[in-house]
Amino acid sequence: MLTRKTKFLLWTLILIFSAGLSQAQARDYISIVGSSTVYPFATVVAEQFGKTTQFKTPKIEATGSGGGLKLFCTGVGIEYPDMTNASRRIKKSEVELCSTNGVKEVVEIKIGYDGIILANSRKAKPFRLSRKEVFWALAKNIPDPGGQQKLIPNPHTRWSDIKPGLPATKIEVLGPPPTSGTRDAFVELVMEEGAKKFDWIKALAKSDKAKFKEIAHTLREDGAFVEAGENDNLIVQKLDVNPAGLGIFGFSFLDQNGDKIQGAFVDGVEPTFEAIAEGEYPVSRPLYLYVKKAHAGVIPGVNEFLNEFTSEKAWGEDGYLADKGMIPMPEEERQAFRTDAQKLNTLNLE
Amino acid sequence: MNNTEPEQTDAAQPESPRTIDIVNKGLAKRYGREKRFKMYGFFAVAISLSFLALLFLTIFSNGYSAFYQTYVKLEVFFDPADIDVDDPANSNFPGLVKKTLRSEFPDVKKRKEKKKLYSLVSSGAAFQLQRMIEQQPELVGSTMTIEVPADDDVDMFMKGNISRDVPENERRISDRQLDWIDKWLKEGRIAKRFNTTFFTSGDSREPELAGILGALTGSIFTLALTLLLSFPVGVAAAMYLEEFAPRNRWIDLVEVNINNLAAVPSIVFGLLGLAVFINFFHLPRSAPLVGGLVLTLMTLPVIIIASRASLQSVPPSIREAALGVGASKVQTVLHHVLPLALPGMLTGTIIGIARALGETAPLLMIGMVAFIVDIPKGFTDPATALPVQIFLWADSPERGFVERTSAAIIVLLVLLVVINSLAVILRNRFERRW
Amino acid sequence: MSKQKKYTREQRGTVGRIESDNPRMTCRNVNVYYGDKHAIIDVSIDVGRNEVIAMIGPSGCGKSTFLRCLNRMNDTIPTCRVTGDIFLDDTDIYEKNIDVVPLRAQVGMVFQKPNPFPKSIYDNIAYGPRIHGLVGNRQEEDEIVETSLKKAGLWKEVQDRLNQPGTSLSGGQQQRLCIARTIAVSPEVILMDEPCSALDPIATAKIEELIDELREHYTIAIVTHSMQQAARVSQRTAYFHLGDLIEVGETKKIFTNPQHTLTEDYITGRFG
Ligand SMILES: Nc1ncnc2c1ncn2[C@@H]1O[C@H](COP(=O)(O)OP(=O)(O)OP(=O)(O)O)[C@@H](O)[C@H]1O
Ligand SMILES: [Mg+2]
Repeated sequence: MLTRKTKFLLWTLILIFSAGLSQAQARDYISIVGSSTVYPFATVVAEQFGKTTQFKTPKIEATGSGGGLKLFCTGVGIEYPDMTNASRRIKKSEVELCSTNGVKEVVEIKIGYDGIILANSRKAKPFRLSRKEVFWALAKNIPDPGGQQKLIPNPHTRWSDIKPGLPATKIEVLGPPPTSGTRDAFVELVMEEGAKKFDWIKALAKSDKAKFKEIAHTLREDGAFVEAGENDNLIVQKLDVNPAGLGIFGFSFLDQNGDKIQGAFVDGVEPTFEAIAEGEYPVSRPLYLYVKKAHAGVIPGVNEFLNEFTSEKAWGEDGYLADKGMIPMPEEERQAFRTDAQKLNTLNLE
Repeated sequence: MNNTEPEQTDAAQPESPRTIDIVNKGLAKRYGREKRFKMYGFFAVAISLSFLALLFLTIFSNGYSAFYQTYVKLEVFFDPADIDVDDPANSNFPGLVKKTLRSEFPDVKKRKEKKKLYSLVSSGAAFQLQRMIEQQPELVGSTMTIEVPADDDVDMFMKGNISRDVPENERRISDRQLDWIDKWLKEGRIAKRFNTTFFTSGDSREPELAGILGALTGSIFTLALTLLLSFPVGVAAAMYLEEFAPRNRWIDLVEVNINNLAAVPSIVFGLLGLAVFINFFHLPRSAPLVGGLVLTLMTLPVIIIASRASLQSVPPSIREAALGVGASKVQTVLHHVLPLALPGMLTGTIIGIARALGETAPLLMIGMVAFIVDIPKGFTDPATALPVQIFLWADSPERGFVERTSAAIIVLLVLLVVINSLAVILRNRFERRW
Repeated sequence: MSKQKKYTREQRGTVGRIESDNPRMTCRNVNVYYGDKHAIIDVSIDVGRNEVIAMIGPSGCGKSTFLRCLNRMNDTIPTCRVTGDIFLDDTDIYEKNIDVVPLRAQVGMVFQKPNPFPKSIYDNIAYGPRIHGLVGNRQEEDEIVETSLKKAGLWKEVQDRLNQPGTSLSGGQQQRLCIARTIAVSPEVILMDEPCSALDPIATAKIEELIDELREHYTIAIVTHSMQQAARVSQRTAYFHLGDLIEVGETKKIFTNPQHTLTEDYITGRFG
């Protein structure tokens, strides 16, 4: 004995449901997946594009670079994404995966750079570190200082243990978990480079890659390195109350929170916008956008979106992406990739 | 207690003590235990309530400021030279905003300074003007005072999140910009107002333009579908299992599996949804349709278990009474057992739905963790959900998103309170009938 | 103990005449098991047309269990198993494809514990007639509710609170409500399990009057702990003991001249 009210409720729900289903099935918006590092930049372009054109705002998912490329390479058709963001270059294996699935023509557009920074609270003095010192501070196992070619557990507890000039505070670095692109970039650009300062380890990089990665990529688990979760805002807040701590970020967080945190000098270079743009600051990585050529002209707005992305007002030196903390490429590079984007020149990995 | 009298009455059995004496002796201990137990209970409740209060307090104190937004009054001349009435989308509205700002401060000449000046108001201002012209083309050529949203940095400054005292190069508002803001302040042209944008627009990368309506709509679509599917299916399944199914090994197996499913991590349902609904049935990614289906799978076990428990709690005498007057099995269940069990089933459903409302993990796999500006209009439009929006904002570098994250959490909490009160009201309604 | 010869444990058969001249229900070799527990042991008895049969016996001897067999109410207990034959007129009610719905419409039951529906007093009575389609309109429904309540002696107390829940009544009122509910569908056989256990003498008299009245058209089996009641209302009496049917016979004979020691002990109050 359903009451009249329950019946009424049921029918309204069914009505809402069928009204929702009767929407058009063909996709009239661009679908983008990929890196969470590029996400904050690609979304600004998407929003601008949606507001200034007749096209719908593209949908952007943050799936990570690897996850994005995997989705991107699943096939050609409206159910697959049109573009993917990546905070690293596409791998050969991924290109092969793409082409076995019919995604033969891929346009590669480098969009700019992102700096990885180490930062501490403004309440303390700025750090001056070399990549070797960072490796000495954070690697789980470090080379025996006695000169032998073997590893010992990292004995350093204070920065001053590493080099007398450094502050006598506890080593405490907050960083992202291994699932994060920032972490990948950090181990690759800082830890690997730091490890290579030891000749025998550098030799390993050629002879035994796996062993080398194990040495360079394994971070301390004794409290000196703390996985602080994906939420970088939280790390900023933690550094604010703990002036001895150091945090690992993408550059945009330093850009937005300059009154609370300051970037550490790495190999003598301060992580400023200009220094990263000029390539002086050593820890930066390129950001990419990959586009399915087959989707241009099928999904409305693909060409126009690329135009917006590669316009000077977006990725130029004074563009809105720079305002959001993305480091622009030099003029000639921008020119080259703009042409690629406009002509849809396809990628050819040799 | 008079001691002499009992002795006389007890004369028949002098050696066996009276019950009342034994009871009296133990009474203090008994009450002590009772008191302690009450105290533990009280403390447990007090502690959990104070944690809850603390949580609410921090979230509220962090988030309430997001319900206000700084606006600037600008004297805009809708210059016919800048505006193409027939094609407003291609007109130079950003230029118009810039021109207006320049005329406010004519002494700003240097390019760098101009850029600083332009960045005082939100990029949304140009869209606001564009929309005005689209709706009222006759405004072209006139001058109007219009309130436009200030840039998020200005907003943060007005809310005290950016301090004047830190050195200039460390804050996002320069000394020059401070001067301009001060002038506006003196003229009373910059002020905080209720932030309607937050409730009427979708996501944005500019904090001052970002709103939760898109995520809220997505959540509503998703949960409506979840409710629509999971409640009837869950109740029917529970009813079948509890009242009609034969007792055999297969049914036991089904039971065990349902109980297991209730404990499966929610991301697994996301993976299942990806494999079945998207990859096999080719339903669209990021759609509330798939989200609703996945959350239905997730909530079904909870609803079935709760519904069965509440069916079991219906006294068998009611079933006997109905069967005794000749009601069939189905009539017995539908007319007598179900109405009695319904409040419990509703509670279970609401708990399941409330849990579904807070889920992000399964939505990640089916593409609902995404930047979506347009407000979804149907079950197949791309959409996110409230908790996803919170997650995305929490990870955004702009400081304006910190308070908006908390504000979105407030909205989510309010929604949960509404849903749970609805459950209580519904339950009382049903219960009052007998 | 002078009549010791009558009682031997090995003698499984029942003392007295189990048959009725004009049987409405015939039970032969009925056994009931709750799991491993053998609750009714090889009971055979007839229930005559237009007669009231009283079932008496010490608590836990299986009276309710046996009564519930007569309209297959035991089906609702998963552990319960019934063997033997029970016929209503000429149909075997335990046959495989017997539909219990018409059976229970024909053989109504008043349960030992009052169990009104958690609905209004009115709906409690009207429910049965409604589902069986005995009433066409509201007026007929009103009529049936009123006459049923009147017969059960409850009308005066509830006539102006028919919309209140049945569960808000007192224990005795609930018991009468359940009687009214049962007779509202006019079953041809009525099984009553201690219908007066919570009633005062006046209400009891009213129910006994009702039973007498119903007997003209219906058949009634009543379980009672009151010897006087059994003597007053029934024509035949059956005495149960630990699952066995010990003695059956005309009520007058049983109460004046019991054949079995156990029966005698019970009705003279020598047995719990
Ligand atoms: N559902 C059940 N499961 C198991 N055993 C049961 C069940 N119902 C009754 N019994 C057992 O069957 C026996 C007979 O019970 P029954 O209820 O028929 O007794 P009774 O004669 O009606 O007693 P009373 O006068 O106290 O109502 C008892 O020993 C009882 O414990
Ligand atoms: Mg009984």
